[in-house]
Amino acid sequence: MSGTELLSDQGLRIDGRKPNELRRIRCSLGIFAQADGSAYLEQGNTKVLAAVYGPHEIRGSKSKALHDKAFVNCQYSTATFSMGERKRRPRGDRKSTEMSTHLEETFAAAIRTELYPRSQIDIFVEVLQADGGNYTTCVNAAMMALVDAGVPLKDTVVSCTASLVKDTPLVDVNHVEQSGGSPELVVSILPHSGEIVYMSLTQRFHIDHLSKVLDTAIKGCKDIGVILKEIMKGHLTKLDTSLQAS
Amino acid sequence: MSIAPQLLRGPSLMAEILLSEAEKAFIHHGDDLRCDGRTRLDYRPIILETGLVSNASGSSRLRLANSDVLVGVKVELASPLSEKPLEGRLEFFVDCSANATPEFEGRGGEDLANEICRFLQMSYMSGDTINLSELSVLAGQQCWVLYVDILILECGGNLYDTVSLAVKSALYTTQIPSIKVATMDGDQPELELSEDPYDTKRLNTQNVPCLVTLMKIGNHYLVDPTPEEECCSSSGVVVAVSGSKKITAVRKIGSGSLHPESLVSMLKTASEVGAVVNKILMKKLLEEETAGKTQKVGFMR
Amino acid sequence: MPVDSRRLQGPESAFSYTLLEKKDANAEESILSADLQKMLIDSNHVRKDKRKPTDARPLFLRTGIISQAKGSAYIEQGNTKLVCGVYGPREVQKKSDFRLNGQLFCEFKFAPFSCQKRRSHQQDNEELVLSGLLREALEAAVCLHHFPKAQVEVNIMVIENDGSPLAAALTCASLALASASIPMYDLVIGAAVRQLPKLLLLDPTKDEEWQPKLNHDENNSNLTVGFMPSMQQICAYVHEGVSNPEELEQMLKIVTEYCLKVQPVVQLCLKETVEKMLASEGENNDAE
Repeated sequence: MSGTELLSDQGLRIDGRKPNELRRIRCSLGIFAQADGSAYLEQGNTKVLAAVYGPHEIRGSKSKALHDKAFVNCQYSTATFSMGERKRRPRGDRKSTEMSTHLEETFAAAIRTELYPRSQIDIFVEVLQADGGNYTTCVNAAMMALVDAGVPLKDTVVSCTASLVKDTPLVDVNHVEQSGGSPELVVSILPHSGEIVYMSLTQRFHIDHLSKVLDTAIKGCKDIGVILKEIMKGHLTKLDTSLQAS
Repeated sequence: MSIAPQLLRGPSLMAEILLSEAEKAFIHHGDDLRCDGRTRLDYRPIILETGLVSNASGSSRLRLANSDVLVGVKVELASPLSEKPLEGRLEFFVDCSANATPEFEGRGGEDLANEICRFLQMSYMSGDTINLSELSVLAGQQCWVLYVDILILECGGNLYDTVSLAVKSALYTTQIPSIKVATMDGDQPELELSEDPYDTKRLNTQNVPCLVTLMKIGNHYLVDPTPEEECCSSSGVVVAVSGSKKITAVRKIGSGSLHPESLVSMLKTASEVGAVVNKILMKKLLEEETAGKTQKVGFMR
Repeated sequence: MPVDSRRLQGPESAFSYTLLEKKDANAEESILSADLQKMLIDSNHVRKDKRKPTDARPLFLRTGIISQAKGSAYIEQGNTKLVCGVYGPREVQKKSDFRLNGQLFCEFKFAPFSCQKRRSHQQDNEELVLSGLLREALEAAVCLHHFPKAQVEVNIMVIENDGSPLAAALTCASLALASASIPMYDLVIGAAVRQLPKLLLLDPTKDEEWQPKLNHDENNSNLTVGFMPSMQQICAYVHEGVSNPEELEQMLKIVTEYCLKVQPVVQLCLKETVEKMLASEGENNDAE
């Protein structure tokens, strides 16, 4: 698919969004009874479930225990029916393992791990439907699940993608734009401090464009952060009122 | 406090359930009234919704109390098995998501998944349940394969029943595209897919079996066990009951044993219960279909 | 990481020549249950191998055929032949699997040459399920609390499969466990029965076993049961095919009756084993 089609002459994207427009975000927290924290997040047609267990005792081999902080364990898996073509295995392939490692690094930076020495926090994400920006949706969903579990965080983590088409930066790319051959920049930030905890780029563009695309992605992150914070607040108020009622 | 014996469903899953002696005594010897107010032959409330996964040809999500299952059916073309050139096939795949319990991480849920998968295959195998020859496209060369992918999101007891109900609902909604053999180009036939995406056919799922689990506790047996009840019981049976009230597969589960008489009476009850469950499910599916397009709720409750 | 599990890394384009045998595929698919019955049994109610419907195949049992194992047994039920070796009790290898009761590990394996179609050397799905069924059945019979924190391994190797392998495996495994002096509540006797619309065939051969086929909408099924005769308890129950509960009751009755007949045979074999063991111990003592 050529670049001209990704961005129309009127400056609209293939799904009718403006270049700096996010997809619709819907989120619900506490959807599982057994997990310590859980969240369901939709960004457009990308749908992700996340569950958090812990902090608890180290499971399995004790050698994983860290003497001064909690060990963050993540698993990224994709439902076999989540994509256009059927996936043979939900996890265990190289890409899923890589994603799991990235999640672990990201959340080790955001969680106040020093509060729970020699313990473990499990974060499991499951992509139910994939339509671009799977990793960023997973990060955002996992963060919401951590909030639901009440795990102390240094700062919320939000993640967003950006791309560049016809020298115009696009925010929050979907599957068509992602597979259309345009570059994809993934950024995860801590919105308060403005620190970047994860960044990756596929394809290439001229370095002069980098600051422009990066700014777009960071702006996207911050916008998502605002939306998620509202959802969090709503959820907590609801919890509060139901507690008081009982 | 004592730790309940680790018996059924993934041994480590049970280890987390702690029951006091009094609770155990109630489950074992209680009258026809269970901890949650049900009688022995009552199910817990079920929430069912179909058509949630847009990338699948048919899908459903079923929540039975805390047991949560998402099923996606994908329809693909493949060449038929050489032993059965005139039939399509169903391929089941169960994935126990780590969301359900950390024990399922990595390959931890595989044993449970295989067990469920194999029993589903068994109960769908007999000719009474699904007409696989409907799935044949071109005898001996092309057929439809229905990949039934089951994602277990949470385990709150009674997984077999939950999974089977979700699978039946997903198959009920599965749309198989119309396909025509257009031209024979030498030996190679050319397949032509209908251009209208709504030009599809559906499977007859009237006779697709529902699984009914009966657990033996004390001198009685009960349907739809909670995790607490599952760990108080050492044995039970899973029975696949087709829409026509016939039994299509049975297996004993758990590491205990059963007296022949109680087994026979369990089988009879299971076929009665299965018939009722089947009827209600079909009714609800029809209702959902005729109600037309409403806003999907999904996981946004 | 994905590993190629095949030993022979060639293309898998080979298929059994039996598929090329001349047969009318359409005719076979549309066989009705009634015709099927005619294929398996003649007008005098005699089966292909000259048995009556309620006759089982001749049974041959022997213990102590694997010298390295703690206990072992060999069973021949007609042409179905399998060996079972029992090892342990020994310490549980994985510490994470710690449990207060003893544990059973069962492995059910078809030899690559045992069936009509070649089996892989790795356990396939069916074998895994059979292993699980075997374990669940034996767990009910073995006194697991007698060897806490330890494990017992039961290995089944099917040398030739001519129907009802699980039934034979159950009998064989319980005999092997007993000969390994593992405490048990009772012996487990396995038995299978095939249901045809108006007839029950005890101990079916491969040809008589139920196969998933189309149009068999009438009562048609296969049942395998593991029965503990002295305790009157069923510890394994697997049914495939279409039946009514009433018919299942009938099938269960036939099977348990057969199990009661087999029990003394297995006991006799066990008695001989013990006698032999005592005699050889006596010899050893004399030699010293």
